Amino acid sequence: MDRKSARFASTTADELINRLVNDLEPVKPLRLAVGLCLVFGALLASATGVGLMLGLRPDIPAGRLAPHLVLESGLFLLLGLSAAANVVRMSRPHVGSDYGGSNWAMAMTALLPVSALVMGLGRGAIGLSPMDMRSGINCLGSGVLWGSLTLTALIMWLRRGAPVRPHYAALLSGVAAGSLGMFAYSLHCPSNDVVHIGLWHSGAVALSALIARLVVPPLIRW
Amino acid sequence: MTPDETSLAQLAIMAQRGDKEAYAALLHECQRWMKSYLGRRIARHDLDDLVQETLFALHQKLATYDSTRAFVPWLAAIARYRWAGHLRQVYRARKHSGGTDVISHNDESAMMARISLNSLFAQLPAPQAQAIELVKIEGLSIAEAACASGQSEALVKINIHRGLKKLSAMIERA
Repeated sequence: MDRKSARFASTTADELINRLVNDLEPVKPLRLAVGLCLVFGALLASATGVGLMLGLRPDIPAGRLAPHLVLESGLFLLLGLSAAANVVRMSRPHVGSDYGGSNWAMAMTALLPVSALVMGLGRGAIGLSPMDMRSGINCLGSGVLWGSLTLTALIMWLRRGAPVRPHYAALLSGVAAGSLGMFAYSLHCPSNDVVHIGLWHSGAVALSALIARLVVPPLIRW
Repeated sequence: MTPDETSLAQLAIMAQRGDKEAYAALLHECQRWMKSYLGRRIARHDLDDLVQETLFALHQKLATYDSTRAFVPWLAAIARYRWAGHLRQVYRARKHSGGTDVISHNDESAMMARISLNSLFAQLPAPQAQAIELVKIEGLSIAEAACASGQSEALVKINIHRGLKKLSAMIERA
């Protein structure tokens, strides 16, 4: 029974209640663990896809991880997981819920573009040669693309749930998708340059958030 | 006698398992609760429609109730969501009724106060709350609301727009 037929076919609330009662089927309560498994599955698929299709950056198989990689990928992973966990929670509405935790993770990750700006200015220029631009745009697009798996998983989850703040849920979904996509792609991207990471890798998160904010709300509104 | 929070939660758990008798009791109680909850913040002639829409939303999203948490805040979040959507859609409404905002349960009064629509409205800046109240709930035209509030017509429109945006963002705020 859809919403319109339910409303137009009934004239009183009592009649509607009778119809709804007749329509009742047992339902499985929405478990947050299932939503989190979806996110981890998408993350695993992204990271595996990057590893198999593009190859890992050389220092990973060699076991000598660059500090930049640990810092950057750690920040994106934490931001992505924090935002995704909040999105998963938003599927079950409750007056009194607080989703502010991701704001701190976003503030911490914002240190990357700030560092890029400081470093770029310190060098005298941000230094965007045509090659830098090509490489940067490639990273930007790849981060968004690999994050689309997470975004799809979160949209599917939110459609099963009842998000009462669809715009915020959409924005957080985009942040989660961009961050986890960038985490996966950073396993391939060989750059250790702070300016490149701060500008293009963080840009992928911002772009993903913007796209999700514009595209996702109509898909999850109920 | 109105069931308490624990009974409502129990009925919801039984409804999730497919117990139609419990579900009918739950829906009737929710209907009563919503009439009281929404009654003061909606034009009377829109109340039945909104209650029915919210009941239907409850039916669609029954699986999202988490049995480890209180039932009423879940119901209130759904009611607020539908109410905010309704305010965005409705431009004309008659005078609101003078119903009570919340059911009065001594042992639950603190929780009910936190989730009331009045508390949500109180978090809006006064000019925004007034503009929404006059136009969306009392059904005045923009020009009439401007006269009544002392705001310009443009400001009434801006305040409605900003106020509704804020209300939507505060749906889960206690």
